[in-house]
Amino acid sequence: MKALWPFAYRFWRYRTRLLAGLLCIPLGQAADVAMTVTIGNAIKRAAESDNADWIGRVIWLLTGYAVAQAVFRYFQRWWIVVVSREVEVDLKQDTFEKLTGLSFEFHNRSRSGDVVSRLTSDVENVRMFLGPGLMYTVGAMVVVPISLGVLFSLNVWVTLAMIVPMTAMGWIMKALTPRIHRYSMEVQESLADISHRAQENFGGIRVVQAAGIEDAQAARFARSSERNRDNQIAMGEARGLTHASVNGAFDLTFVVILVVGGLAAIDRTLPIGDLFKFIDLTIKVFWPLIALGWIAGMYARALASAERITELMAEVPSIVDAPDAVQPRTMRGEIDFRDVSFRYHPDSPDVLQHVSVHVPAGTTLGVVGPTGSGKTTLLSLVGRLFDCEGSLSVDGVPIRDWSLASLRGHLGYVPQDSFLFSAPYEDNIRFGADEELSDEAIHEYVRRAAMEGEVRSFPHQYKQRVGERGVTLSGGQRQRTCIARALAKKPQVLILDDCLSAVDTETEKHLLESLREAGKSCTVLVAAHRLSSVAMADQILVLTADGHMEALGTHEELLAQPGWYHDTWERQQRRAQLLGEGV
Amino acid sequence: MSQYREHKEVVATKAWDHRLFQRLLVYARPHWVLFVKSFLVLTLLFVFELAGPWIWRRAIDGPVTTAWQAGLEADRGPYVRSMLFWVGLYLAMIVGATIMRYFQVSTLNRTGQTVIHDLRTQLFRHIQHLDLAFFDKRPTGSLVTRVTTDIENLAELFASGVVTLGFDALRVVVLVILLFFIHAQLALTVLVLLPVLIGISIAFRGGARHAHRHVRAKLATLNGFLQEVLSGVRVVQIFRRESRVAGVFAHHLHEYYQANRKTIFLFALFFPAMSLGVFLIQGTALYVGVGSIVHKEMTVGLFFQFWLLLEMLIRPIRELGERYNVLQSAFASAERIFQVLDTQPLVREVSQAAPLDLPLTTPPHLCFEDVRFRYAEGNEVLKGISFEVPPGKTVALVGATGSGKSTIINLLLRFYDVTSGRITMEGRDLREIPLTDLRRRMGLVLQENFLFAGTVRENLILDRPGIRESDLQEALKTSSADRLLDRLPGGLEAEVAERGVTFSTGERQLLAIARTLAARPPIVILDEATASVDSETESKIEHATHRLLEGRSALVVAHRLSTIRRADQILVLEKGEIIERGTHQELLAMKGAYYQLHELQFAVAVEG
Repeated sequence: MKALWPFAYRFWRYRTRLLAGLLCIPLGQAADVAMTVTIGNAIKRAAESDNADWIGRVIWLLTGYAVAQAVFRYFQRWWIVVVSREVEVDLKQDTFEKLTGLSFEFHNRSRSGDVVSRLTSDVENVRMFLGPGLMYTVGAMVVVPISLGVLFSLNVWVTLAMIVPMTAMGWIMKALTPRIHRYSMEVQESLADISHRAQENFGGIRVVQAAGIEDAQAARFARSSERNRDNQIAMGEARGLTHASVNGAFDLTFVVILVVGGLAAIDRTLPIGDLFKFIDLTIKVFWPLIALGWIAGMYARALASAERITELMAEVPSIVDAPDAVQPRTMRGEIDFRDVSFRYHPDSPDVLQHVSVHVPAGTTLGVVGPTGSGKTTLLSLVGRLFDCEGSLSVDGVPIRDWSLASLRGHLGYVPQDSFLFSAPYEDNIRFGADEELSDEAIHEYVRRAAMEGEVRSFPHQYKQRVGERGVTLSGGQRQRTCIARALAKKPQVLILDDCLSAVDTETEKHLLESLREAGKSCTVLVAAHRLSSVAMADQILVLTADGHMEALGTHEELLAQPGWYHDTWERQQRRAQLLGEGV
Repeated sequence: MSQYREHKEVVATKAWDHRLFQRLLVYARPHWVLFVKSFLVLTLLFVFELAGPWIWRRAIDGPVTTAWQAGLEADRGPYVRSMLFWVGLYLAMIVGATIMRYFQVSTLNRTGQTVIHDLRTQLFRHIQHLDLAFFDKRPTGSLVTRVTTDIENLAELFASGVVTLGFDALRVVVLVILLFFIHAQLALTVLVLLPVLIGISIAFRGGARHAHRHVRAKLATLNGFLQEVLSGVRVVQIFRRESRVAGVFAHHLHEYYQANRKTIFLFALFFPAMSLGVFLIQGTALYVGVGSIVHKEMTVGLFFQFWLLLEMLIRPIRELGERYNVLQSAFASAERIFQVLDTQPLVREVSQAAPLDLPLTTPPHLCFEDVRFRYAEGNEVLKGISFEVPPGKTVALVGATGSGKSTIINLLLRFYDVTSGRITMEGRDLREIPLTDLRRRMGLVLQENFLFAGTVRENLILDRPGIRESDLQEALKTSSADRLLDRLPGGLEAEVAERGVTFSTGERQLLAIARTLAARPPIVILDEATASVDSETESKIEHATHRLLEGRSALVVAHRLSTIRRADQILVLEKGEIIERGTHQELLAMKGAYYQLHELQFAVAVEG
């Protein structure tokens, strides 16, 4: 229960409407009970009187009650549920901001599906329990005592007797629910099995058809489906049992009313009209009682969800500003790696080992090496996505002493996976700029990224919506868009993480020249698989497969000595000739 | 191929489609007994439920009223006995109703589940036999949905849709008739007001469905953005755009909230509106009823009965909207299912095709004659390919990605049919040979070696008949996969985890070779994997491949130098055409494209 308090507090912020909504519950219930009592009295009076002149007044009174009840019910639901949705908005926004604020180390270790589910189904579970769940609980808490109170005032014995089967109903539900839960788990499992079988057969259809085992596989599938059918039937039986027992207990209440109430009526201690009140009020408490059982099931889920959300909110970003962090307004862009090593986890192998390289401001460093040699990691360190061992400084100031805002504020970054938002094309460029960009400025950056012609050919040009993860753009177009976005930042240090791999050699040449033009005053770090992308760099760092430095030098120097760079260059040149273009 | 062009998933939203219903009935017919049972159970339950109000009436008009009229001094014995009789009857009624309620849930459920099991199995079987062009056009996930979610929706259609809805209609009619018997004038007023309730119920459901769809769409946008930001969090952080994306998120969140407000409003309105509608009927009933009681046209007991029957009448109407929605989504699912069931495979058997007159173990002669092929709507991927695979010989296909190598093996397996030209086996067009006979003669080893959930043994045998234990053992030895099994706890009986993740790429290749060897096919089709493996496994695979190709007619998409060298003929492909052909030595001597490719291959080998 403790885990839910912070969330209850969030509801409390909207207390005016929440309390007004909660107040509507007893008022509505009172009107409802009043209707039953009034109708019962009318029947009683009808049996005794010989004229019906009074019935018009009764109907007006009832109409008053009915309208009051409708109005209260409306506001009860409207206020409480809307507040619960507002709390949902707050909660989701806070969680979202928490998530984007957490360091990359967190995102690296948590599965995104898990994180998303905290923000979606967990928030929903908590909202359902504290919003509508609370509403139904209060409803039941109010209507049951009111009804029982009215009934007690009519006849103590009948009321006491009918409490017995009603209590039994609660017990039956409690006893049978685990059974249903167990069966439903089995149904879920067999459903998962069906879907798994379908998945592997449809996915591996070549193997299935080549081996000619379509029918044999169908027979296996039929067995899975049969198991599911049998589980479903077993669960149906369990549900039937619960349904029958709960309703049976409920019906027994009427037997009790009939026998005790009927005998009391014969004894003239209970008027017939009051029998009606017993029947009608029993019908009215039935659903609230069932709802209580439903809410009890929700509670466990809400509690678990609350804990999961709290756990997420308690995460602390591992990379934060040092207390005396410097916030220079400008950056020259001189970067110095000295004996830098890095590993993702304390017990995983080093990704980078003792890397040292000095990059003077305004120069270009190329980083190459086989897949998995740590190129991306090395570039990530400059934006302080991770903290490393050894010393890494920018403009002579250790990177940990920079404030994140001013450090990252001067970086332009082009990611390897060419991540773009599914938004209008121009918005992706705007994303890069600190200030509002004019259309002309956007066109200029796009032109410099050698994308202008293609953007103009889009049906909606700069307003063209980029598909989910940019799928409507080709790989090369995405890469160039990311470059334009990074240029819009007017960075002091430009980080290009293998972002030219899908661009053909002709465009690459054009782009590199354009970048050099733009980057005259700017330091460029570029990682690449295709060596032609780094050939013009001032220095090239060659990393080995295990993250060591193999060599450091200019293109000419590296080519002159035997080694990975030399071999790879030769091979890539030959392949380029053979296929008539760059790979 | 036009039937594949449009892959529609959004279909009819009618709540009742007679044509579809007729087709569904075909699947229900074999289980008519269950349907009769369901109706029987519902009928009995209804009778028991009707007995309740009747007993109340008789008890009130009988012992209670007469005792009341007899005065305080009368002997209460007969009244009490009479009362106890009605109580006994009421108890019996409850026992009966309780038993029927159990069967109501379990039999209805059983009926739905039994019918959909048949349909699901048939659907799966049908999909299994469709050609690859069908699979190319559809994501696996959407096909899985057909045999899961869509089928489950149909269970709802059979159980709560057809049976319950049909019976609800019957209940309403019977109840209205009963009301007329009790008090015609009262019943008439109810009948006049009933459409108000029906109207509210259906209008609300219609609105709620729209509103819900709107909420789902907004939620999808919100969650989509969340996913996107999470996958691009590196970019967001380096660009320092945390607050900007939070602003966008807040915007989506607000739209989602606004959409929610609409549904909350509808629900907040619906329940009070419905209870006001019910009050309209009950208030009128009370007004007329009290007048009748006072004027002795109606007894109090009769009024009780009327009132309780009224409650029974209102319930199905209140649920009408709900059932309407169930029907609607079930018919949409049925439409999607029949769309698949109506799709005929493009690769078809010629009727009465005779099996090949050649022993199943003898390698046949294969021949491609000016074969051209294009995928649906695509460009031509094969532009006149002609070559032969003499019995027991190996032909290797070499060329860049997209040169048409995989298409050639797909055609030989008849995953697709040629667009023009022909492929023959022992001089007979493949299309005139029964598919089972054709594929039984072929062994396929794919790049991505697909393992199914199950034991290793099941994966090696793959349900193919005629594989003896000795064949399996020999295949394991020949492929040297036996040593691999030695270190597995359980050996052949070990469970393969999902997609065979417990095996490395190289090990899976060995298993795939063993799988093919076990069936001892006279033809081998091999798509060599490009993924690099350690040198020990590499040499095992080389050896196993060699044994696999030995003495068989083989078509190989080759990546291994050793495989290419041993081939009897090498075809060099470029953009769907054969540009060079010959043995390894001949082609090297030509100093053409093959020579260059070979150089490249060597360089790659050094790098790896």
